Amino acid sequence: MAVCIAVIAKENYPLYIRSIPAEHELKFHYTVHTSLDVVDEKVSAMGKALVDQRELYLGLLYPTEDYKVYGYVTNSKVKFVMVVDSSNTALRDNEIRSMFRKLHNSYTDVMCNPFYNPGDRIHSRAFDNMVTSMMVQGC
Amino acid sequence: MRDPNNQLHIIKNLKISVSNIVTQPPLPGAIRKHLSDVVSISQPAEGLVANVITAGDYDLNISDQSIKASVPWYSNWKDTLMELKESTLYSATTPWFESYRESFLQSMPASDHEFLNHYLACMLVASSSEPEPVEQFLKLSQEQHRIQHSSDYSYPKWFIPNTLKYYVLLHDVSAGDEQRADSLYEEMKQRYGTQGCYLLKINSRTSNRSSDEQIPDPWSQYLQKNSIQNQESYEDGPYTITSNKNADSSMLSLDGLDNEVKDGLPNNFKAHPLQLDQSSDPASNFDGADHIKSMLSIHETKKMNTGILHGACLTLTDHDRIRQFIQEFTFRGLLPHIEKTIRQLNDQLISRKGLSRSLFSATKKWFSGSKVPEKSINELKNTSGLLYPPEAPELQIRKMADLCFLVQHYDLAYSCYHTAKKDFLNDQAMLYAAGALEMAAVSAFLQPGAPRPYPAHYMDTAIQTYRDICKNMVLAERCVLLSAEILKSQSKYSEAAALLIRLTSEKKHALRCYCQAMQVYKGKGWSLAEDHINFTIGRQSFTLRQLDNAVSAFKHILINESKQPAAQQGAFLREYLYVYKNVSQLSPDGPLPQLPLPYINSLATRVFFGHDRRPAEGEKQAATHISLDQEYDSESSQQWRELEEQVVAVINKGIIPSNFHPTQYCLNSYTDNSRFPLAVVEEPITVEVAFRNPLKVPLLLTELSLLWKFQPKGSNSKDNEETKELVTCGHEMIGTEVISEFLINSEEIKVARLKLFPHHIGELHILGVVYNLGTIQSSVGLDGIGCIPGCHTGKHPSNIMSVRGRQDLEIQGPRLNNTKEEKTSIKYGPDRRLDPIITEEMPLLEVFFINFPTGLLCGEIRKAYVEFVNVSKCPLTGLKVVSKRPEFFTFGGNTEALTPLSPSASENCSAYKTVVADSTSGATALTSSASSVDFGLGSQPEVIHVPLPDSVLLPGASVQLPMWLRGPDEEGVHEINFLFYYESIKKQSNICHRVLRHTAVICTSRSLNVRATVCRSNTLEGEEGRGGNMLVFVDVENINTSEAGVKEFHIVQVSSNSKHWKLQKSVNLSENKDSKLASREKGKLCFKAVRCKNFEAAAQSSEKYTFVDIIFGNEQIISSASPCADFFFRSLSSELKKTHAQYNSLATEKQSSDDAVRLIKKCSEVDLNIVVLWKAYVVEDNKQLILEGQHHVILRTLGREAFSFSQKQEPPEMGLLKFTRPENTMVPTKPTVEQLSSLIKTSLQYPESFNHPFHQKSLCLVPVTLLLSNCSQTDVDVIIDLRHKATSPDALEVHGSFTWLGQTQYKLQLKSQEIYSLQLKACFVHAGVYNLGTPRVFAKLSDQVTLFETSQQSSMPALIIISNV
Repeated sequence: MAVCIAVIAKENYPLYIRSIPAEHELKFHYTVHTSLDVVDEKVSAMGKALVDQRELYLGLLYPTEDYKVYGYVTNSKVKFVMVVDSSNTALRDNEIRSMFRKLHNSYTDVMCNPFYNPGDRIHSRAFDNMVTSMMVQGC
Repeated sequence: MRDPNNQLHIIKNLKISVSNIVTQPPLPGAIRKHLSDVVSISQPAEGLVANVITAGDYDLNISDQSIKASVPWYSNWKDTLMELKESTLYSATTPWFESYRESFLQSMPASDHEFLNHYLACMLVASSSEPEPVEQFLKLSQEQHRIQHSSDYSYPKWFIPNTLKYYVLLHDVSAGDEQRADSLYEEMKQRYGTQGCYLLKINSRTSNRSSDEQIPDPWSQYLQKNSIQNQESYEDGPYTITSNKNADSSMLSLDGLDNEVKDGLPNNFKAHPLQLDQSSDPASNFDGADHIKSMLSIHETKKMNTGILHGACLTLTDHDRIRQFIQEFTFRGLLPHIEKTIRQLNDQLISRKGLSRSLFSATKKWFSGSKVPEKSINELKNTSGLLYPPEAPELQIRKMADLCFLVQHYDLAYSCYHTAKKDFLNDQAMLYAAGALEMAAVSAFLQPGAPRPYPAHYMDTAIQTYRDICKNMVLAERCVLLSAEILKSQSKYSEAAALLIRLTSEKKHALRCYCQAMQVYKGKGWSLAEDHINFTIGRQSFTLRQLDNAVSAFKHILINESKQPAAQQGAFLREYLYVYKNVSQLSPDGPLPQLPLPYINSLATRVFFGHDRRPAEGEKQAATHISLDQEYDSESSQQWRELEEQVVAVINKGIIPSNFHPTQYCLNSYTDNSRFPLAVVEEPITVEVAFRNPLKVPLLLTELSLLWKFQPKGSNSKDNEETKELVTCGHEMIGTEVISEFLINSEEIKVARLKLFPHHIGELHILGVVYNLGTIQSSVGLDGIGCIPGCHTGKHPSNIMSVRGRQDLEIQGPRLNNTKEEKTSIKYGPDRRLDPIITEEMPLLEVFFINFPTGLLCGEIRKAYVEFVNVSKCPLTGLKVVSKRPEFFTFGGNTEALTPLSPSASENCSAYKTVVADSTSGATALTSSASSVDFGLGSQPEVIHVPLPDSVLLPGASVQLPMWLRGPDEEGVHEINFLFYYESIKKQSNICHRVLRHTAVICTSRSLNVRATVCRSNTLEGEEGRGGNMLVFVDVENINTSEAGVKEFHIVQVSSNSKHWKLQKSVNLSENKDSKLASREKGKLCFKAVRCKNFEAAAQSSEKYTFVDIIFGNEQIISSASPCADFFFRSLSSELKKTHAQYNSLATEKQSSDDAVRLIKKCSEVDLNIVVLWKAYVVEDNKQLILEGQHHVILRTLGREAFSFSQKQEPPEMGLLKFTRPENTMVPTKPTVEQLSSLIKTSLQYPESFNHPFHQKSLCLVPVTLLLSNCSQTDVDVIIDLRHKATSPDALEVHGSFTWLGQTQYKLQLKSQEIYSLQLKACFVHAGVYNLGTPRVFAKLSDQVTLFETSQQSSMPALIIISNV
């Protein structure tokens, strides 16, 4: 279960960001924001040719003392960042990958909503519930 | 050069620094000033802008705190930063810092613990032109000795006691005697040895500048423009000249790249990371030379010194000579001297080492305590540990290290420094230890080939020691600068930056970094982070006393739609208030600051002119007028506008003046605010300001009031205006209401109403609001956000912290969209709602309604009273009322005062004017007449003149007038708008009139439904035959549905009024004489109507109406008087209006129809109006009330049913839209059959029964008279056909048909209104019942070609009984 899940637009402003312990919200924001550098590095390191067939899942971006930060970038350069408690060893790479895939699907659903303006903050209840389920899951 | 171990050591690129002897150390203040000068000189002219590196989209501001906003993208930025790092630009960005660094290092005063910038040798210079140069040398030498060894002079520090002295004889080639110079030189050689003296021949007098100008100033590279030394030598000029000596100390610098030993040659300024340019000042030497030379003319010297050009007199050969001289000095004098000294020191050390190694160090350990006083016998023991005397043996090693360092023997230097460091540390001589550490690190760095890694921790320790233990910030700074350069050359930029940052005030840098980080987060939606940064910026700025920045940073947190929790917001707000308070305390007299909170929705600002509405007092009900409580409704405001236009048109004889604008008492965003509104002096102006609190914490505004600017009329000077602005409490001009407390809860929208009371005429400008912003301290903790210290100290009992500030009200007008230019661009019109013009006094009317009902039956008449009060100091006149529903009310006719004037007296009185009638006169009609003009109905029935006594209402006066109301005929709730119009007696240019609005709400319930038809009576009576007579049938139905309440209706009277007709008598069909109608009952009344011939002539000319009352009770209601006639005429006129509108819509048709049709139509028209007066018995609260009322029926057409209340028309079904053009068919309109049939009225006169003895005579002849009367106004041709119609087969079946005898067809012409009787004979053969109505009458207008021939009479059965006798 993630402690913080964020969806970041192509232009690096947050579309959606949610974290569980509310008192550390600011810290998570900073964590997510700094992780964007790593995402950027990883994506640009791949080079132009590889971009097309690259995998969306970027893997572990960087570990901090308490948390692990994972990243995922869609083809439209929308970034998903997930912060996971590093004490949680049950979460393997595969689980994280599937969580990201779920997140991506849900995000796609949000985008399919004709009343949603791309670029706006996400206020979808379905998306919210999905994120909540990922955060609570296994807790 | 050889080192102590006799190994050859190559010195590269040695530089020699030569300077004048100055006996006073430079003052720290002077140094500081010099440094700041240096920095400011290297600042580019535009200052900050050039110091901004634009990296990607970010502006990295190097020199200042100002934040440059931009919309960046991070990775771009990173790329550019990488580029920057590699580009040369990178090193060139901070010229000020480089020059600062140079100057700083140069201006280091020599200190005791190190010897690097102590003087190593002394050059003694004398001119050959002097009379006794040798004497001079002697004197100089003594002087030098005195300076070095006497205790008078502490400042110029000397490296070792026996300083190398180098004697230079300066000879001017052009002027001096060369032989003498040579001989002198020889003498010197003998005395001082060849290594110790030199003859320098240069040209110093002639200035063959023309040729020399090409030669660049040889000293320019070495001279510092404003070097302290220069200045000092300058000030101490006289002294220098007298002493006339030049000490030089040699310092070194080296450049690993250049192999030549250079001095006078242009040295390269290549950016070496560690360029210790301390030595770049050999010029002072020649300053000295100049001094010598200029002994004759001091002024010249000074000029030379300050002048830009040095050494202008030198020729190229002179340059070479100088170069040679320096070389000679270095190789012959200086280097051997250094070599010697090093060797000496080395020997000393080795000899000492034996001791220290074996015994000394041991004793040191044993007697470590006792050693300290031994060392510093009479020295002060300061924080830096102990101080050694200058010649202490511990210092010797340091001396040696320094020397080695100077001659670039870094290897040896390092080991010496290292040992020195150990010793010093052992002795706890921290200052010395730090110096040794520093230099050890530097020499380790400079070691070629770097056999050992750079000991960065040495530097760190040194810095720390300097700073924390020795408290010597200058040395610490030097150390940091060196260290930073070293780190930079090792590409350890971040470490270098960290060092520099640590050195300076960290807060400032933190602030700047936050400001730059702000650019990354700004406007990106990272709101929490943005808030956090803003908060930190605010707090840092505050601690650095940059209050303005702090305020603006806090402002940002508060005004953005914050997503922070409430507690956090509260903390932000409190901190903001605290900072703000500090700002305002700093400048208590400054202009009030603009506050960011709460938000003001300036578009929603409403302005109201006038007093608040008075609450109802008992029965009195004030006119609703207009108030801020009412929502704006464009429909109703349009209605009011129309009403005002109507009344203004009436006043101005039907024309609305071009400058007319509807009066606006309440201005909002929907009203037309392009003109300056007018306010009346002494009447309050209320401004409603819409506040919104975006925060989750409540905001408390205290002492909230309006801010305004007033320009009294007549004073146009600007200054006057300005002064008035500040006098917000100038109550003599404008009174300002202050709201003492105004609380806006979290995320609430709340309006505040603020009043101004203008006491003078002029132009008022409402600028904004001023208030104390505060918050209520909530009990919620601060949640990890520590408050600024002192935040809590001001805990006064109310727990409210507040600051005073203002917010301006700026209202943007509507967008203009009229011209093409306006359409293509975005322009906004002015909005003047806050800039009223205060005008002179105007009358002010207040209207109260007394006994004004809220519920009525349809058609009910009720009497109420209206009170008009003039509350101003001006008399008012021309009072009028205008309403869309004039049939609703009346003030009575202007004929007489009819009823008691006080409302209390009329309590039980009937609303009508009545007289007791003769009970016997039941069915008779009482006639009277009146004209509509008597009841105040002009061409505009909507505008009603209020009959004020004397037509003027004086100040303070009040008048009560009766007012009758009639419940509208429609059931339901009615809103009736009254607009009272009045004027001042004095004519004014600005305001011509004023208005007062009232909206009455009346709920009506169903009462009676009256239907009436009129038809011709067939009887032709002799006396009234002319003009004919008619029967009027009136159906009255009680349609009241309320179970309780109304019990029954009584028809008390039926009146007619018409110009031509009158009711004659009641034809009682039923025996129900008192005509009671219980619920759902229906009654039928029948009346006979005749033409009123006696009034005929008069009526047609003067529009007089004849009123006829037919009474059923014992009281006659005079229907021709108020209020009955009032309402009748009003309903008539409104009815007329309706029909008129209908006619207008058929206008084209009407025109095309010819006269014939009109004539034909006309004969079926009547204009009879029936008024049914009733009483209703109502039980209400166990009390029986009698209500009165009247219904009107307007009869126009014969035979057509008319209603008291026009039946609700079914809304027409939505038809399909047709997009075809209707064909303009020119079909001549034909009068309808019905209309034609009423042209001629026929009636048969015959005996009802006829006895005939058929057995005697088989044929029975009955005379029948056919009466034909022409109803039209023209001649009519009539054809009478007596033949039976053979069309219907039944007719043949008739058993006993009869025949007309004689002529079967007649052709007649009837004149207008003529009655013709035709004698006919009918012949019967059997007894029986016959229908005589068989004659068919055809009529046509005689002067018309087209024949509208129609059977006139749908044959009514005219039965005759023939009986056999």
